Amino acid sequence: MCSISRIGQWNNRSMTGKFSLPMQIFRTTQILLTATLLMLLGMFSLSSATGEVSVQAELSRPEVNAGEMSELQVRVSGTEVTDVPHEIPVEGLQISLTGQSTQVQMDNFKVSSSQIYSYIVMPLRTGHFTIPSISIRSNAGMLSTAPLVFSVIGGGTGASSVSGAALPQGNQPPLPGMPGFTKRAAPRGSETERLAFAEINSPKKTLYVGEMMPVEIRYYFDASYPVQVLGKVDFGSEGIIVERFPDPKESREDREGTTYNVLTFRTLMSAVKPGSIDITPAKLNCQIQMPGSLPPAFDDPVFQQLMGGKNPMSETRDLVVKTASLHLQVLPLPKEGRPSSFAGAVGQFDSEAVVAHPKLAPGDPAVLSIKIEGKGNFKAMSPPILTETEGWRSYPPADKFDSTDELSFAGVKSFDFTLIAQQPQKNSPGSEFSYFDPVTAKYVTLTTKGLPLEASPGIAPPSGVASPLLQAAFPVPKAPPLPLEEGALSTQTLHSWKTPMQRSEFLLATLAMVIATLALVGSLHVHQLQKQGGSPEGRRRRRLRELLASLNSETLDAAAAYDAALEYAELIRSLSADRDVLIAEITARRDMLKYGVGRSVALSQEERERLQKILRTLSAQTSR
Amino acid sequence: MKRSLLLFLIAQICSMGFLMAASDPIAAAKETSLSSPEFWYNRGLSEEKSGDSASASLSFRRALLLDPTLKPARKELSKVLGILGIPLSLDWRDQVWTRIHPDVLILGGAILGWIGVFLLVIFLLVRHGNPIFKKPLFIALALTAIILGHGLSIVGSMIDPRRMADHFAVVTAKNTTTLRATPADSATASGTIAPGSLMTILSRNDLWWYVSDGSGHTGWILSNTITPLLPASTGF
Repeated sequence: MCSISRIGQWNNRSMTGKFSLPMQIFRTTQILLTATLLMLLGMFSLSSATGEVSVQAELSRPEVNAGEMSELQVRVSGTEVTDVPHEIPVEGLQISLTGQSTQVQMDNFKVSSSQIYSYIVMPLRTGHFTIPSISIRSNAGMLSTAPLVFSVIGGGTGASSVSGAALPQGNQPPLPGMPGFTKRAAPRGSETERLAFAEINSPKKTLYVGEMMPVEIRYYFDASYPVQVLGKVDFGSEGIIVERFPDPKESREDREGTTYNVLTFRTLMSAVKPGSIDITPAKLNCQIQMPGSLPPAFDDPVFQQLMGGKNPMSETRDLVVKTASLHLQVLPLPKEGRPSSFAGAVGQFDSEAVVAHPKLAPGDPAVLSIKIEGKGNFKAMSPPILTETEGWRSYPPADKFDSTDELSFAGVKSFDFTLIAQQPQKNSPGSEFSYFDPVTAKYVTLTTKGLPLEASPGIAPPSGVASPLLQAAFPVPKAPPLPLEEGALSTQTLHSWKTPMQRSEFLLATLAMVIATLALVGSLHVHQLQKQGGSPEGRRRRRLRELLASLNSETLDAAAAYDAALEYAELIRSLSADRDVLIAEITARRDMLKYGVGRSVALSQEERERLQKILRTLSAQTSR
Repeated sequence: MKRSLLLFLIAQICSMGFLMAASDPIAAAKETSLSSPEFWYNRGLSEEKSGDSASASLSFRRALLLDPTLKPARKELSKVLGILGIPLSLDWRDQVWTRIHPDVLILGGAILGWIGVFLLVIFLLVRHGNPIFKKPLFIALALTAIILGHGLSIVGSMIDPRRMADHFAVVTAKNTTTLRATPADSATASGTIAPGSLMTILSRNDLWWYVSDGSGHTGWILSNTITPLLPASTGF
């Protein structure tokens, strides 16, 4: 204002037509100052309005592992952008615009502004890619970025668990339930959330019952603090089956200037019942070592040096890091068009039949391998059904699964059928295998045809198999012996995989032998006893009964009766204290009758009764 | 007494019949063809011809497990392992089994032992009859038959290769397999194992098995690179 007023004043004066020298110097100075100011203003406006136009594209990570993502930033300076592509088509990648920001910068009084457009780069497969030039419409015309090279390296197992067909295609919005992937920024919540947070990545929200779906859970921990993970990932819900988590992969990732240590868990999950399922957040318990503030007297660096560089006041904080909850819609397998051979396989498969030995000796079993290859629920897979089995006897197959990825989502499952020809055969049986393809939502039946094969029954039918009825139904002609491979053995012997001692027959036989031996010993012992008149106790009891009977009869004379009484008293196991006295009395009386009388005398009735009374007294106190 | 002896004799013959049945694989084997050493031998020949030496070594080992006296299988196993660069070591047990089948030793020993028991019972309990029965020499002979027979049977069972066969597996991967310190792809490698190697399974943890190669090297190996020595259908 000051300059303008002076100019006005000068103009007024010029109208008077007369100037002094100091006034001329003053006016000249005024003109120079005004011109300089105008030049500065002109330079500023020029730089802000029409500064240098530039466009630049940059990848946050030019190389990622399968299942990981990168961020593409397109920076436009010096002009106003009117249009940018929302999708950048690259085969094998999905690149979607996620946001825009403006950056203003002043450098040595030079002000510049840039517009930044962020894209998420999601790999759909492994490989090396070239992101083409991106065309941007601006006030300065069409601008183009330079092409970029981007690499996705595999996890060592080919198809990534979260890439490939499992990821959303086309113009679908970014994956649900993936806050980190959609925002590409660490949560702006509490301090705890900035220290650690988690993301869950499931490629689909709708799946069929029995369909296996890869799921990825990522736990981010601020790399500035030591973290100890406690226990395992707690993840699951009613109605779903979560497979075992393999060991997590460790990596580092920058989010808005903060470096995070990332634990990535991958597994498979499947639903067992249709309906809407809310899966609770996947939790992981951990402890974070947080630095504490030292008291003023101890915050000296020398003191910390003495403590080994560690802060002795650090505190351990227990954290439960959780993902967002996951909502799934589980569809039932359609009933329409369900083949009879369908047995629960869900996925995408292909089948192949292989016969190991196309030329077999008579009686040799053939092994038909049906290989089911693809990806899906191999664990729940049932064997294929054999077709054209007339003249063959087959056994339940042995199965083997060779996984081609770490999650056992993809691989080859082999079913080895052992077949025995009941009549000369030229072809093996065929097979039929049905599965449900969740991509096309249709049932698919795979068939294999019989393979050329020469097999015939042996001269003697194998172990207890060919019933007379079966033999009548399939008469076995005497086939000429087929040529064997060089060195092959034509005869067949059968052996057990178990040792005799591992078999129940051996144990039964041993038990039978023990019982038979004991029975023989018992039998021989009884036989010996019978020869000896029974056991000593039996013999004693029998003798007691005989003696008692003889004492009751009147046929014995007195000496013989006392002999019998004495033997009875000795045989009886009396507990009476008078036993010895009574025996001595009986002995004395017997001796007197035997040797003192000198002749045989009859035993009086009174004495007989007294003797019987004595023996009854002894018997009453007998130990049983 | 004669009747007792006769009954015992019948019982013993029946028991021996059981013992013989214990050696009869037909009664126990569900997969008769898979219980034939010749079947595995022929399969091994075919696999060898197709260049799959690791699988061939497994088939020959299975043939020898069923019948250790099958000399062609031993010869072919030695040949295949030579191709794979694995020496075939024969310890004293293998030397025994190349001469006599384990079933013959175990069942023959058991039968001899029970004959000894039978004779001992006769010699000790039959007191009347032929006086030679009472001679200590015959009792000593009976005791010798018991100890020798049952001893052979027990030792034969202890060293029977089938007894611990469910703890062994053969590396059937076509290429050298890496042992890992922990059951993870990213774990440190603790060694490498050549195809066809016989491994001892120390523990099984789903996809990963903890194995030892018998010379002190242990580690985790992916289960799809290794096949148990016993076929899955044997039910072990």
